[in-house]
Amino acid sequence: MTVPGDATISITSLTKSFGATRALDGLDLMVRPGEVHAFLGPNGSGKTTTIRVLLGLLRPDSGQVRMLGGDPWRDAVALHARLAYVPGDVTLWPNISGGEVIDLLGRMRGGLDRRRRDELLDRFDLDPRKKARAYSKGNRQKVALIAALASDVELLLLDEPTAGLDPLMESAFQQCIREVKRQGRTVLLSSHILAEVEALCDRVSIIRLGRTVESGTLAELRHLTRTSITVETVRPLTGLDALPGVHDVVMENGHARFDVDTAQLDTVVRRLAPLGVRSLTSTPPTLEELFLRHYGERNGS
Amino acid sequence: MTGAVGLARFMLRRERFALPWWLLGVTVLVLIQSTQSQNLYGTPEGLANLRRTVGGNTAVIAMSGPPELLTSIGGEVVFEIFAFAAIVVALMSMFLVGRHTRTDEETGRAELLRSARVGRHAPLAAAVAVAALADVIVGVLVLAAAAGTGLPAAGSVLFGAGIATVGLTFTALTAVAAQVFESPRAVYGSVASVLGAAYALRAAGDTGDGALSWASPIGWGQRTFPYTGDRWWPLLLPVAAAVLLLAGAVALQQRRDFGAGLVPPRLGRATAGRSLRNAYALAWRLQRGALTGWVVGLALLGVAYGSIGDSIQSYVRDNPAVAEFLPGGASDIVDAYLALTVGMCALLAAAYGVTAALRARAEETSGRAEPVLATATSRLAWLGGHLSVALAGSALVLLAAGAGTGAGYGLTVDDAGQVPRLIGVALYQLPAVWSVVAVAALAIGWWPRWSAVLAWVVVGYCAVVALFADSFDLPAWSRRASPFAHTPQVPLDHPAVLPVLILTGIAAAVVGAGWAGLRHRDIGC
Repeated sequence: MTVPGDATISITSLTKSFGATRALDGLDLMVRPGEVHAFLGPNGSGKTTTIRVLLGLLRPDSGQVRMLGGDPWRDAVALHARLAYVPGDVTLWPNISGGEVIDLLGRMRGGLDRRRRDELLDRFDLDPRKKARAYSKGNRQKVALIAALASDVELLLLDEPTAGLDPLMESAFQQCIREVKRQGRTVLLSSHILAEVEALCDRVSIIRLGRTVESGTLAELRHLTRTSITVETVRPLTGLDALPGVHDVVMENGHARFDVDTAQLDTVVRRLAPLGVRSLTSTPPTLEELFLRHYGERNGS
Repeated sequence: MTGAVGLARFMLRRERFALPWWLLGVTVLVLIQSTQSQNLYGTPEGLANLRRTVGGNTAVIAMSGPPELLTSIGGEVVFEIFAFAAIVVALMSMFLVGRHTRTDEETGRAELLRSARVGRHAPLAAAVAVAALADVIVGVLVLAAAAGTGLPAAGSVLFGAGIATVGLTFTALTAVAAQVFESPRAVYGSVASVLGAAYALRAAGDTGDGALSWASPIGWGQRTFPYTGDRWWPLLLPVAAAVLLLAGAVALQQRRDFGAGLVPPRLGRATAGRSLRNAYALAWRLQRGALTGWVVGLALLGVAYGSIGDSIQSYVRDNPAVAEFLPGGASDIVDAYLALTVGMCALLAAAYGVTAALRARAEETSGRAEPVLATATSRLAWLGGHLSVALAGSALVLLAAGAGTGAGYGLTVDDAGQVPRLIGVALYQLPAVWSVVAVAALAIGWWPRWSAVLAWVVVGYCAVVALFADSFDLPAWSRRASPFAHTPQVPLDHPAVLPVLILTGIAAAVVGAGWAGLRHRDIGC
């Protein structure tokens, strides 16, 4: 475990209320240097509020927040020179061209890599001469993404950056994030697209109602959930229901299908072996199942 | 054309809140002008005096209309109000057609409608029909307002018809522009330029031999000479123009794709210019268009005010009732008049300053401030950018008003020295203008949600106190609460430096307090 002082972002027991609404209710978040950290949660769970606190736009009610070794509220300007931000809903100035916005944001951050900017324009297939009013939602998003990716910064804060992109652009985005990671930069990626998170992220924090409910590597989180097993045995399979950690058993002409808590997998496999296993398929839990387990049942969505 | 009738009814429903205000506005304009003119110049002598003072004043003719109208009291009303009412009706028609054609196409609303059983030309036909209906209603209301205040019926019919046909011409013109340009902004820009040209052409014609006025839709309406000549045939021109333009619009619509224009939208720069590199440059870039408009507008207003300066003496002699409105009474009449008009320009400059400062708040609520504040831009620099526009911009606006007044007055009295003199006079009001801007900054810092309301209440308060303190008999303290009561009313008063310095200091302190508030609050709430 990294000590908090070394973390790129470390948040402990952060709370923030807007009037009577408690947007953040004791949130914890730890992002280590050089990792791509996924920030998952349903709409309204506090992801954007957390990012705005990190940007020093909102003042925390209580809790400790450190980023890049500084205080996001007090040292906002100095820290901003070392990070780039892509908002979830990009609004631009209607009468200014995309190219101008990219240059302006880059310069205000302290300069951007001209060659990289042009290369990104090409990769994301964006016409920089169009006025922002003529851009679609996806193209506005690309403007903010290119401005962020062309800046030479240590940390990227991305708030659902691919919500408006098509699959082709999504893959270009993933390519860019891998490069960023190779360069040793840190990324906090809030996202709804679980495939994207599985493809890119080293660690995941799941938040709900302003609190962190799970945090760890994907492998660690999978350990907390269930694996699906389909098995055919020589001798009849009985008494499965009684085993600890086994759920939803279905018997079908000699096949058994069931889910097992990943922690109990070993016990169950030992029980199966003496029965003579003819075939066995096991499916690891997807992030989606993980996600739904945390929200689906409790939020009904 | 399928579906046009249903669409037209739907458009009327969407306009049910805005349209009545346009109609009411034009009616009230005519009502006030007609009653006021008849009160001031109702007698043959009054009218003769006016003909003498105004008939020879090029600036007034350029602003209003052909002096031939000044031979009857009804004609005088048309002279004063026709061009302004025509501009209002032209803008109403432009927005009605633009909103229901190009704007709907840009937002995608029209796509949804066109996917139903709606013909290609139906939205345009419906929009034109709605605008034409509004124009006809305006015509009837003008007729009613004029005849209702005692002007002859025949001339009133012609007056109303003249206004309505200007509206029709611009309805048809907007229909064409909506085919040519892709963005509503470009549509409005092009139509407004034609409207400006129409006003300028008739100004040039009316002050010259009248030939150029025939190139202007406003000129066509004025040259029916309601109440003085009552001729109908000039109305054939706008009707013919409208028919031709509408035929052109339909032909163009037949040739273009949905959502596209005939002229592709202008592309911007691929890279930012060298200077666009911080929050200050961004604020100026965002606000430069509006600032230019205000500077030009107040310079022209200044010219208009200034050019009457010299005739004010004889005007007041002929109309003693007017003297009551001037701060110095009938003595020092020209200086009193100039102090009054500069004071009004200063109120407008304060209004400009407030719009420019509140732009910061608009940037914040629209979410556009967030990406800027997420860069290495401090909150102070971000607000400072917009405040620099508000403070320097309001100074420029005031300077333009002073220069315009000086130019207008200087031309009539043949004295170029009036330009620097009146610039100086105007700039004496600057500390008061800045104080109002400072209140807007304070509100943005401490009470962001109420900032617009607070700032405009202050502007409104200053205006009411400045214009009506005497006629409403307001107590002395209420007058002193306005910063404009503390700036010396030069050239009527002696210029004094101390109040100017004190007021500037107060404004600076209030801006600083606003800044301090912004440092401590959440952004985006």
